Amino acid sequence: MEAFFYGAALQWKMDIRSKTLLITCYAVPLLFFAIMGGIFTAVMPEAGKTLIQSMTVFGVSMGALIGLPPSLVEIYGGDIKKVYKANGVPLYLGLVLTNLSAFVHLFIMSVLLYLAAPPVFDAAIPENPGAYFIWLAVFILVSLSIASMIGLAVKDQAKTSMVSILVFLPSIMLSGIMFPAELLPKGLEAAGRIFPAVWGYRLMTESAFQFATLLPLLLLLAIAVVVCGILLRKVGE
Amino acid sequence: MDAIQVRGLKKSYGSHTVLKGLDFCVRQGEIFALLGVNGAGKTTTLECVEGLRSYDSGGVSIHGKTGIQLQSASMPEHIRAMEAVRLFSKWNKTVPADGMLDALGIRELAKKQYYQLSTGQKRRLHLALALTRDPDILFLDEPTAGLDVEGRVSLHAQIRKLKAQGKTIVLASHDMAEVESLCDRIAILNEGRIAFIGTPLQLGERVGKHYRITVQTEAGTEEYASENIGETLLALLVQYREKGVSISDIKVDRGSLEQHFMKIAKGEG
Repeated sequence: MEAFFYGAALQWKMDIRSKTLLITCYAVPLLFFAIMGGIFTAVMPEAGKTLIQSMTVFGVSMGALIGLPPSLVEIYGGDIKKVYKANGVPLYLGLVLTNLSAFVHLFIMSVLLYLAAPPVFDAAIPENPGAYFIWLAVFILVSLSIASMIGLAVKDQAKTSMVSILVFLPSIMLSGIMFPAELLPKGLEAAGRIFPAVWGYRLMTESAFQFATLLPLLLLLAIAVVVCGILLRKVGE
Repeated sequence: MDAIQVRGLKKSYGSHTVLKGLDFCVRQGEIFALLGVNGAGKTTTLECVEGLRSYDSGGVSIHGKTGIQLQSASMPEHIRAMEAVRLFSKWNKTVPADGMLDALGIRELAKKQYYQLSTGQKRRLHLALALTRDPDILFLDEPTAGLDVEGRVSLHAQIRKLKAQGKTIVLASHDMAEVESLCDRIAILNEGRIAFIGTPLQLGERVGKHYRITVQTEAGTEEYASENIGETLLALLVQYREKGVSISDIKVDRGSLEQHFMKIAKGEG
């Protein structure tokens, strides 16, 4: 257990040293918040009611889908995995530690948005902060699991960036954070439902909990965990 | 006692058979080298023995804990050298030996992140990582590839120290001088089979003692070939004395390990 905690703390420190993660987990989401938060609330004053949730969905999707896969490709797409395997370090360690560290970074970024939005843009605080943070944690977890699939399935950094963007862009465009998803053509609205952002946004904005909104996220998480397990086993072979 | 026993090891990649039934053993406490031209199957053999690659048939028995330094190895670019050593030590429930850290110069690199290390420093770090398990048997694949002379000498000294501590070392190398100076025994792979196994001296004997003698006099330089160095030298000295020619220098070349290796690797030995 001591080795695991040391590894977790080490991964946290390495992520801070890595400019990529700082950019994707903090700089871009907070800059997006600073610019778009102002525009959203100026153009549509009612956007302030869901500003925390929409900016958080953007930041988490960005940090997870764009930030995590390169770290996994570095470990599993190159020679690091061989060094781990050759010297008694389990292969799953890299996956677990990078996810754990990214989870903490994304949670911190979300808390910063939660604290900054009300005084800066007069944004409304979620009605039930306790439930909000629980659903936020679920959304981060599901987003990271999807990002992990990308990081384990694609072996090349350039291709990973391309796949990440191909998942990230529709995820954000169809999620309903820019404009209501109901305004989209039916096909696109339906396509948006395969991405966690749609469900994460709904879960965090709904005034009353609905299991039907949580279920797709749980299903996505279950599928991603199984796929990651299979991919990890394949990497080990 | 043998530290490693390999029996009838066979490995194919698709229709291409790389290892055609290898049999060899590595004795405890010795430095054993695997040699062969590119594509001879050195790395495949090492990886099968290390357990990193599956094989088709045959068997491998290893008696002891292993540490492995791979030919192409890497670490996360933002990990510091000492952090990597601590992570691997903690995972293997060992304490990195102070002597080892000093000898490999890991303390000097402690604050450097992996991407800031030179090739030689990375090699030293990977050797340190392989040693964090406190292995009985150490596998080194091309340990000095890409190192400058200083790095090579320093790493050779480390390898000798490890042998003195009783560790068994198996290395794959292209560097004949390295093999000759470090190894107790060598095995030469040729077309998926062991073409030779024995000491470097036995390798010379196997391909025959072909000496080349160069005699320098005031009149010029003359070369002679011999299979019996003692008799030929004596005869030459007598011959030059009788002619009244004074010898200014004599050189005897017994043929390098590299030449012997090439003969075996080409199937001529």
